[in-house]
Amino acid sequence: MQSNRLGWILLAPTLAILFFFGVLPFIYVVYVSFHQWNPFAADPHMIFNGADNFRKIVFDAEFLNSVGVTVLFVLFAVISELVVGYILAQAFMKEFPGKAIFRTIHTLPLIMAPIIVGSVWKLMMTPSIGIIPHYLNEWFGITVNIGTSPVAAFTTIIIMDIWHWTPLVTLTLIAALVSLPPDPFEQAQIDGANKRQIFFHITVPMIAPAVVATVFIRLMDALRTVDEVWMLTGGGPGSATRFVGVHIFKEVFPKTNYGYGSTISVIVLYLTIVACWLLYVTMLAPRNKKD
Amino acid sequence: MSNHDNTPLSSAHHEEEDTPAVSSSKAGFLPIETNWFDRLFISVVIWVALSLLWFRFIEPMGLSIWISNAIALALAVLIISKG
Repeated sequence: MQSNRLGWILLAPTLAILFFFGVLPFIYVVYVSFHQWNPFAADPHMIFNGADNFRKIVFDAEFLNSVGVTVLFVLFAVISELVVGYILAQAFMKEFPGKAIFRTIHTLPLIMAPIIVGSVWKLMMTPSIGIIPHYLNEWFGITVNIGTSPVAAFTTIIIMDIWHWTPLVTLTLIAALVSLPPDPFEQAQIDGANKRQIFFHITVPMIAPAVVATVFIRLMDALRTVDEVWMLTGGGPGSATRFVGVHIFKEVFPKTNYGYGSTISVIVLYLTIVACWLLYVTMLAPRNKKD
Repeated sequence: MSNHDNTPLSSAHHEEEDTPAVSSSKAGFLPIETNWFDRLFISVVIWVALSLLWFRFIEPMGLSIWISNAIALALAVLIISKG
């Protein structure tokens, strides 16, 4: 009983912080999402409008387009990061000259703030001064302009995201691979299993929890990407890179439409939770035994 | 023999045997093992999805959102009690 009370006392500050900075703002956003509220309008008061914001959102073509673009971005970015991250993790499991230096350099993008990443890539991609369009044109005769080409802008953002976040995936997968016991691999080799069989029947099932955790983190991060994209393309050209985060930003700050912006935030949170839950159910959840 | 029993692996095995099963989990019609909170969560997810789809496709035909809420509530009762 004594230790139970001590446990709660020790937990109390964390729980209080979580409540005030996590739970309370969430409840407030849900509350605001049922209101029409523009604090800078002639009438700055909140006006309760029931589910009208939710009625509006399902017909909002800009929002639906931003969801589509975001889903496409998340699919391309997260899958690529997982594949490249796994290949790099396997490479780092082996010894080679300059491994420590390469591993340090490879991890550097992780410590950069997304807004800095966006501005650096903007410098590199600006047609008149950027190094990438210059050499693409000089070596391959390809003209790239992220200000006018939707495909180039979208592709650049995916590559930027892969560059920025693959080290995180690599580090997580290295931790998972290092912790694998050698016995099952040795036994499989003795039994004559080839590399493909070992990969699919031993490695993948054993690192699945780490992979799912990594995908969770990347999925949630990618779904709320704003600053890099805002810095690099501002959501353009047109609406080619207007991800949901950027859409919320444009709705809340320039338009100061707080009520509708909150509604979009709640729906995006809902979609994020559902995506993560579906991933968990598919990959990890224990199946029901019918018999 | 006593040495063998004191190895970490054998004690881990005994611990696993002694661990009681999670009493709130049960096998219902859902394909995964769930407790009541999981089933409540699934019900809320379905309620929100149904409401949004209703707003988009059914309500313009004149059917009130309260019908969707009633369906969602019935589904929630079914999922929580038998899921």
